[in-house]
Amino acid sequence: MTSLPAWLTDESLSAEIVPLLERRSEESLEQLAAEAQAITLRRFGRIISLYAPLYLSNFCSSGCAYCGFASDRSSPRRKLEIDEIKKELGAMKAIGIGDVLLLTGERTTAVGFDYLRRAVEVAAGLMPRVAVEAFPMTVAEYRALAECGCTAVTIYQETYDPEQYRKLHRWGPKKNFIERLETPERALEGGIRSVGIGALLGLSEPVAEAGALFRHARHLCRTYWKAGVSVSFPRIQPQEGGYQPAFPVDDRFLARMICAFRVGLPDIDLVLSTRESPLFRDGMAGLGITRMSIASRTTVGGYHDTDNAGSQQFEVSDNRTAEAFCQALRTKNLEPVFKNWDSAYNGPVHKEEVTCH
Amino acid sequence: MDSLQLGSYTFSSRLILGTGKFSSTKAMVEAIKASGTQLVTVALRRFNRDRMEDDLFGPLSEIGGITLMPNTSGAATAIEAVRAAHISRDLSGSPFVKVEIHPNPHHLMPDPIETWEACRILVRDGFIVMPYIPADPVLARRLEDIGCASVMPLGSAIGSGQGLSTAEMVRIIIRDSAIPVIVDAGLRSPSEACASMEMGCSAVLVNSAVAVAGDPAAMASAFARAVEAGLQARRAGLMPRSGMAVATSPLTSFLGRSS
Amino acid sequence: MATIPIILNGERSEIPSGSSAADIPLLAGVGNQPVAIVVNGVVVHPLDRSSLILSEHDEVEVLVFAGGG
Repeated sequence: MTSLPAWLTDESLSAEIVPLLERRSEESLEQLAAEAQAITLRRFGRIISLYAPLYLSNFCSSGCAYCGFASDRSSPRRKLEIDEIKKELGAMKAIGIGDVLLLTGERTTAVGFDYLRRAVEVAAGLMPRVAVEAFPMTVAEYRALAECGCTAVTIYQETYDPEQYRKLHRWGPKKNFIERLETPERALEGGIRSVGIGALLGLSEPVAEAGALFRHARHLCRTYWKAGVSVSFPRIQPQEGGYQPAFPVDDRFLARMICAFRVGLPDIDLVLSTRESPLFRDGMAGLGITRMSIASRTTVGGYHDTDNAGSQQFEVSDNRTAEAFCQALRTKNLEPVFKNWDSAYNGPVHKEEVTCH
Repeated sequence: MDSLQLGSYTFSSRLILGTGKFSSTKAMVEAIKASGTQLVTVALRRFNRDRMEDDLFGPLSEIGGITLMPNTSGAATAIEAVRAAHISRDLSGSPFVKVEIHPNPHHLMPDPIETWEACRILVRDGFIVMPYIPADPVLARRLEDIGCASVMPLGSAIGSGQGLSTAEMVRIIIRDSAIPVIVDAGLRSPSEACASMEMGCSAVLVNSAVAVAGDPAAMASAFARAVEAGLQARRAGLMPRSGMAVATSPLTSFLGRSS
Repeated sequence: MATIPIILNGERSEIPSGSSAADIPLLAGVGNQPVAIVVNGVVVHPLDRSSLILSEHDEVEVLVFAGGG
């Protein structure tokens, strides 16, 4: 096996956040939250940028123990055809969405690169900003996506613990730990402007996981100094198949982790999805979190065609409409922003300008 | 890493000294010895038979354990700096060059564009390139990307003694650099050198503060100790800065009481 | 003895005709210390100095290391 990169194994690179994560008192959390809020306010103002996910398909060849779409699950499989994609995007636009995240599972014959590229093309014609969360691709594939108008790529390592990773990814292309780890870098080399990373909290011991995730973010920021980097905090929620996380992460720890990340990485977007409850999302907005998904459907499609939506990848805890959520943000003196990009800026970063060591 | 790595050279001292403005060569030599420095910067000047004591090559060679880092001050363009670097390398045998290009003789601020161009050529020509620059994080990264051995952002204008006025920018540079960051110019006191090291600098370069001190050798020694203290403190793990932020109402009460 | 005019360290100087760059240190009053010699903008390595015969109006720089920050 290829050896693990230094940024992953050198724990001293994330030493600064460990004390923040290990404290347990109420006062220390309140202090940390105040710190995180102050930094967020200085750096991001009162803006919360909003996006919505669109699941293009739930076909998947992998056997991830924790996922509702794993290939041994019984959920019915479908994928959106081009006209369905257009209708879904139209429905999303109608509720104000201006930033879409297109999702697929791992590469399959039904859903491969060409399908994804076509979907990006279609989406880029309709949405100001298009991002993708899909299977790991090659530099050339990412360049092609960038040329079609894809601005950002999200990929979660799930867990940074190679041993735990091995146990959880039972079969299929996702077994390759290093290939997945290097995906954000391939995307940036291909001219994608931003990458989003994360660990699925609950899979491994959380303080160590947070440290590794922190080091990953720092490494990407330092190496690709022109790239956007964002960190998400997906937490295992109950879903079909009943995977019970070995290291469940409670609300207080997650809040602490988000605040610690804001303090340690003052400039990057921190993202929270609708996996989390309205109470938690409203509480964390502005305490470090600067980007959230809204009015999500984690079924295939589901915005336009709600009847045939089928099963979900994970349960959505925050089911509020876009309007209701925006109102909640405004009550907290935060401003929801739907459009933070324009397709005029699309197009890959030129090869000569992607710099790294 | 315990020592400072620059190109293929390793230094245990994190204090680099300049050699200008001393009252005499003797004072300079004593200060260098007192500081424990292993890397010293010099300027290229026309030989003047009436001021033979100006020539430092002899006195510096006698100290032992010193590597010379000729600077290109006097150059106003990349071409001039490259020429000065080549002359200096031939004269000293040292591969180090401090690229210092300041076209304005009043404020002595470094020219970022000529500096970048000079560094590009000098890296190609096999020098260990140490650019003196404004504390600009983007320029620092561009210089790292083309192969400079370090970046040397200024603390404040040369000789101004205004201290680390660029601290916040230097912090950003340190955060985003994989090469040593060495604060150069404007440091007035050992505590500022200590603070630079605590912040994450790999070394500091000091000249005026030592040369014009009442007792340069004692000041050089003080700087050396301050630099060591700052490095040790950083290694020991400074306690996190306590938050000055105070929320008007509790921010985390939505989480409920901890179980 | 015939002399030729050159510019030495920015000043007009007369040196014996047929002098080479190797003669410059002595002519300039340099003692034992190493110097750099630049003729018309080109550095002349010590090994090449004796074979470079100087011409009229050559610009010669003799350089040493002096104090600087």
